[in-house]
Amino acid sequence: MAEITFDGVTKIFGDDIRAVDDLSLHVADGEFMVLVGPSGCGKTTALRMLAGLEDITSGTLSIGGSVVNNVLPKDRDVAMVFQNYALYPHMTVAQNMGFALKVRGLSKAEVAKKVGEAAAILRLTDYLDRRPKALSGGQRQRVAMGRAIVRSPQAFLMDEPLSNLDAQLRVEMRLEIARIQRLLGVATVYVTHDQIEAMTMGDRVAVMRGGKLQQCDTPQDLYDHPRNEFVAGFMGSPPMNLLRGSLESNDSGLALVLGSQRLAVPSNYATSHQLPKVDGPGVVFGVRPEDIEVLEHSGSDSLSTKVERREALGAEILVHLALVDAVGNDAFVVNDSGAVVSRPTTLVAKMGPRSGVSVGDQLQVRLNPDHFHFFDTDSGLSLRRSS
Amino acid sequence: MSTTIPIPATPTFAPKARRMTLKRRRQFAGVVFALPAIALVVCFIGVPIGQAVYYSFTQWNGLTSTWIGPSTWTQAFHNTNLWTALRNNGLLLLSVPFALAIPLGIAVLLHQRVAGWRVFRSIYFLPTAISWVVLGLVAERFFAYQGTLNSIIHALGFSHISTNMLGYQSEALIALGITFVFTMIGTNTMLFLTGLATLDPSLEEAARIDGAGRWRIFRSITLPHLSRFIQLAFVMTVIALFSALFSLIFVMTGGGPGYATTTMEFLIYETGFNQGDFGTAALYGLILFVITGIVGVVQLRLIGSNE
Amino acid sequence: MTTLVTPPTESEGTGEPRAMKKPRKVGRWILFGAMVIVAIVMLYPFWVMVITSLKSESQFLSGGGFSWLSWSSLTSVIPVGQEVLSSTILCSASIFIILCVGLPAGFAFSKLRFRSSTAVFLVIVSAMMVPLQAILMPEFVNVTKLHLTGGYTGAILVYAALGTPFSVFLFTTYFRGVPDELIEAGIVDGLGYFGAMWRLVLPIAVPAIATVTVLQFIQIWDDLLVGLLFIQNTSDRPITVGLAVLAAGRTTSIPGLMAGSIISALPAMLVYLGFQRYLVKGLTMGIDR
Repeated sequence: MAEITFDGVTKIFGDDIRAVDDLSLHVADGEFMVLVGPSGCGKTTALRMLAGLEDITSGTLSIGGSVVNNVLPKDRDVAMVFQNYALYPHMTVAQNMGFALKVRGLSKAEVAKKVGEAAAILRLTDYLDRRPKALSGGQRQRVAMGRAIVRSPQAFLMDEPLSNLDAQLRVEMRLEIARIQRLLGVATVYVTHDQIEAMTMGDRVAVMRGGKLQQCDTPQDLYDHPRNEFVAGFMGSPPMNLLRGSLESNDSGLALVLGSQRLAVPSNYATSHQLPKVDGPGVVFGVRPEDIEVLEHSGSDSLSTKVERREALGAEILVHLALVDAVGNDAFVVNDSGAVVSRPTTLVAKMGPRSGVSVGDQLQVRLNPDHFHFFDTDSGLSLRRSS
Repeated sequence: MSTTIPIPATPTFAPKARRMTLKRRRQFAGVVFALPAIALVVCFIGVPIGQAVYYSFTQWNGLTSTWIGPSTWTQAFHNTNLWTALRNNGLLLLSVPFALAIPLGIAVLLHQRVAGWRVFRSIYFLPTAISWVVLGLVAERFFAYQGTLNSIIHALGFSHISTNMLGYQSEALIALGITFVFTMIGTNTMLFLTGLATLDPSLEEAARIDGAGRWRIFRSITLPHLSRFIQLAFVMTVIALFSALFSLIFVMTGGGPGYATTTMEFLIYETGFNQGDFGTAALYGLILFVITGIVGVVQLRLIGSNE
Repeated sequence: MTTLVTPPTESEGTGEPRAMKKPRKVGRWILFGAMVIVAIVMLYPFWVMVITSLKSESQFLSGGGFSWLSWSSLTSVIPVGQEVLSSTILCSASIFIILCVGLPAGFAFSKLRFRSSTAVFLVIVSAMMVPLQAILMPEFVNVTKLHLTGGYTGAILVYAALGTPFSVFLFTTYFRGVPDELIEAGIVDGLGYFGAMWRLVLPIAVPAIATVTVLQFIQIWDDLLVGLLFIQNTSDRPITVGLAVLAAGRTTSIPGLMAGSIISALPAMLVYLGFQRYLVKGLTMGIDR
């Protein structure tokens, strides 16, 4: 067991395709680290460099304190779970699981003992003599896990191991993998594009985009304090609402101007955030869908909106709200199409399943003033001062 | 010494090889693994092509060669045997449509999946396994004066007609062509049947719902779908025609009567080994190489267009 | 409830086409008849071989009769045993080389791609199109000068070289269909490239190995030219050469020749009938997808 350190690791494919750009990341011993991001963000490349399947263009990568840049995969003592499982079709489950041990020259008895233990953990004992072909998707996934855990390696590397499973099985295996990882206490790097997996499984989550690390934090911190617009939009489903507005100062304090409406901003944001100058270049304002609630009356901390669309999901309803001006028409809110993250002009709110809203309703909504987010319009970086 | 030279192709790489990047190591393994195949092909196919070019300009009896220059080529093109062989190959090309149409018909027949079609399929392909030497021997029996062909003619009531096709200059090539068509039936039927199996039956059903008749479906759906397979069969048939008839000719006619059934490939053998004129034979080989090369380029494009 | 009703209607649906087939029953019989006729034509060679071999020479000339003579005296006409042995040695040795050389090359061209490997691959594959006759003279002289025509060595090497391009093509195409992750998993599990080839690639390639083996077996077993020219000793001749030389001499008893032909045809036919699907797969490789 060991810690893993990426120090300025860069991977350039061909002449100028930077798949991973100056990645620095530390995975502590026993930690479950999730790399998450959209496809093409470099997370899989980072994992493959860690496995030794891809060369490192520059920077250093170390496992357990020693640099492994040019160490062969077999000498790195890491185990990998592949997206398509990559089970050896000509071997039984037991042979698949014991293969790495056999290659390393363990005796038959030792191999059988370790395979037996791993099979018990994974509830695969009854399937040891089967070929991968005769297994269900979930069972294959377990075998792939088993192949990794029999080795008691320095680290587990998992490349979207659940993406080929159906939704229900995925939820089940999510818990299962997290359980096994805690049981064995082996440092794990887990790659996924699914932010729910990232939130539920990781001790810490590293969000990547375009080869660059965006933020690495515990899931809750990532959710509560996204460092930039991208992370804010990526984590959470539906994502955080991001609207462009400007700040204004009036008798009652600070206010956010969204189209023709004004929203009071509690004064503590002026100290906790590095807000732009009043009447300055504007700001990107963020609020999560669950922080929007319907009011019976209007007030300085509410916005008047019109229901454009509703999606009933059973346990909750997603309501798409357009801001309206005083006369009741749709208000104009700046929509920058050039922005790295799309900033829609409507708000999505999560409401209870019994809330009787229907399309066309005019609603007064209150945005929870404890959970406002502010981002720079140009860089997209959070304006929150680091404490 | 041994510490400075990385040892190739061993399962564990020498410690010194640690300096190599992972990609280099993979490429190195790739070169090592590909090398035997490359060596074999270069030594036994690549080098002889180069030698053939050189020897085509020489007077060569297999032991000593003297440089003559380009005049060997003009000389060769004045040789009537070359033109006879090329003409024979050209005439044999006329059999190619039959070597495609008959298997196509048989494949469509098999594709109807009447009772026992699997057994029939095995029977139809069976001659494919047999040497063309043996098929040539049988064909000789078929066309011989006391052979099956005459028996059939007599049974049909034409007892005054007797043929001996292999014995006459004008007919021997036809007999060879017929035998060639027979020998190609198995392979080409196999190709077309595979092609038909990849045809999505729902297409046919959709056409039937649209009111198309059987012939219409065959013309507008089946044939276009098979076009790739027909192209491939065409190329394979033509290449066989230029390079696989040797066994048939050797057994059936020995190239005769006269030069009536001498094709390019047989002419090469004849010139080299019966006349001992290795230089001219090498030159003829190059001509054959160019002809099959042209056909081969078409084939490669067919394979390439698939990827 | 409605979903419970659907299955019976579905099974009714399968009964429908059977009812539609009935009016075409006559057509089916015509088809069947046509297939029988084609079968007779295709079986004709076997019929000729069997019937002719079961006659003595005089019976063959006069037309009637039945005799085991050509079979009982077969070995005096053609050294069948020795020739079948030669054919077997040629086939096994050549195929062994073709596999040993083609499998790693296919692995290399598909998974361990090196600089200009695609170009090298294309060159090797285009060698498939070079007929032996085109390079016959230099090839013959080279092999003779290397003193390889004494035994089987020269012929084996020529067969191996001629079969290698196809085997490289087939293995490369086959391995392209194998996910890269499988090899990577082996490498992370502790294998080197040689180990990966031996312990993963080889077992996975069994169907491709079967295809190459069957196709090359039929090709080499049935070949005449290489055996005729590259084997000097008449005692080392394979069976096709033995038959062809006897036939070309035109002094041999035809029934004996036919008996020899049956012996020559049997192994290839058995291989073919046993491994038909590999043969089809190999023939249509690269185009049936």
